[in-house]
Amino acid sequence: MDSTQEQQQDFGVLLKQGAEGRVFVSTFVGRKCVIKERFSKKYRHPLLDSKLTLKRLNAEARCMTKARKLGVPTPVLYAVDPLLHTLTFEYVDGLSVKDILLGFGSNGINEEQLIDIATQIGNAVGKLHDGGLVHGDLTTSNMIIKNNTNQLVLIDFGLSFISTIPEDKAVDLYVLERALISMHSSCGDVMEKILTAYRKVSKQWCATTNKLAQVRQRGRKRTMIG
Amino acid sequence: MKSFPVAGGRSVSLGLFSDVSNSRELLELMQSGKLEPEVAFLNASLVPDVFPVLAAAHKAVVSQGRESLTTRTLHSELVYNYSGSKHITESLKRCGISEDTSYILAARFDASNEEIKAVEKLICGTEIDLAELETRANQPQILKHYKITPQELSISTLPDAIVCRIAARDAL
Repeated sequence: MDSTQEQQQDFGVLLKQGAEGRVFVSTFVGRKCVIKERFSKKYRHPLLDSKLTLKRLNAEARCMTKARKLGVPTPVLYAVDPLLHTLTFEYVDGLSVKDILLGFGSNGINEEQLIDIATQIGNAVGKLHDGGLVHGDLTTSNMIIKNNTNQLVLIDFGLSFISTIPEDKAVDLYVLERALISMHSSCGDVMEKILTAYRKVSKQWCATTNKLAQVRQRGRKRTMIG
Repeated sequence: MKSFPVAGGRSVSLGLFSDVSNSRELLELMQSGKLEPEVAFLNASLVPDVFPVLAAAHKAVVSQGRESLTTRTLHSELVYNYSGSKHITESLKRCGISEDTSYILAARFDASNEEIKAVEKLICGTEIDLAELETRANQPQILKHYKITPQELSISTLPDAIVCRIAARDAL
């Protein structure tokens, strides 16, 4: 396709590429930063494409800052560019929870650290859910443990939305559970530790965990029969 | 005044002044557009660090490059952006200076050495180090203006919380 050549903006060093966007490392008025660009999809109608891209860009900025207001650490948002479809945020220095847990798989488990991480995940998700925010993509690669403080930082709010429905929260937790089972089964039952912390933090844990039991039986998608 | 690079080769110079006695005069000059050179005056007690000001400056420079300034000049845009609100009059009133403001942060884009001298002459006050911002900031006033909750402050610094509001304003 011709899209590779076409308007390669100079945002910095390419870090990751996904289906919806690219992530670069750069600097923002003197600080190291990450730039996330949502590129346009050529197969969509141009008008629809620009509306969708902009809507999702703004939604991500809103949800990230809302999470911070709820007391859940996320990268500091530095700038939103509606024309270039980019979000600029703080560069968080640290390993993803995915890499840490995979390290446990090959080098043996640091039980103390595992409990700390699981507790932080439970706390963070509990706070989000009580504030009516659903992350939408809770996987261990979307969580970073900051190097100097060991603080958990949630990233990628690209699929986040506002909801107070137990179903949505349960699906959020279910996605995390599946990710843990498929990637990190060697770490033991991390989900149980996460849910223990979640129950302590969330005031609405009862409705959510009941729903989670239902979701576990049928899977992420609801059956639409009848 | 100290100069900071913003974006695309442009810079902003910042100077912090205490015990300013002629804010009434500065305000009048600014409102009649006779300020020479043109400067932005920020109510410095709402500024705990330079970084949020630089983020607001970056945003203003980008808007100017696209000819999409919301306010009349680049310098007023800086004050408007810094407020994190969409209400222009209210922003300029709160984050700008009033007749009795004595603690002022002055900002000038792409300032030459002569312009810096002219700005320093314009303001009747003592220029102090920008590092004083943190200790002199009026935290309760900042928390109220930006609606920052204790929950957020438990995981964020004050300047970072302000930057988020500046950046996310137009997405809300």
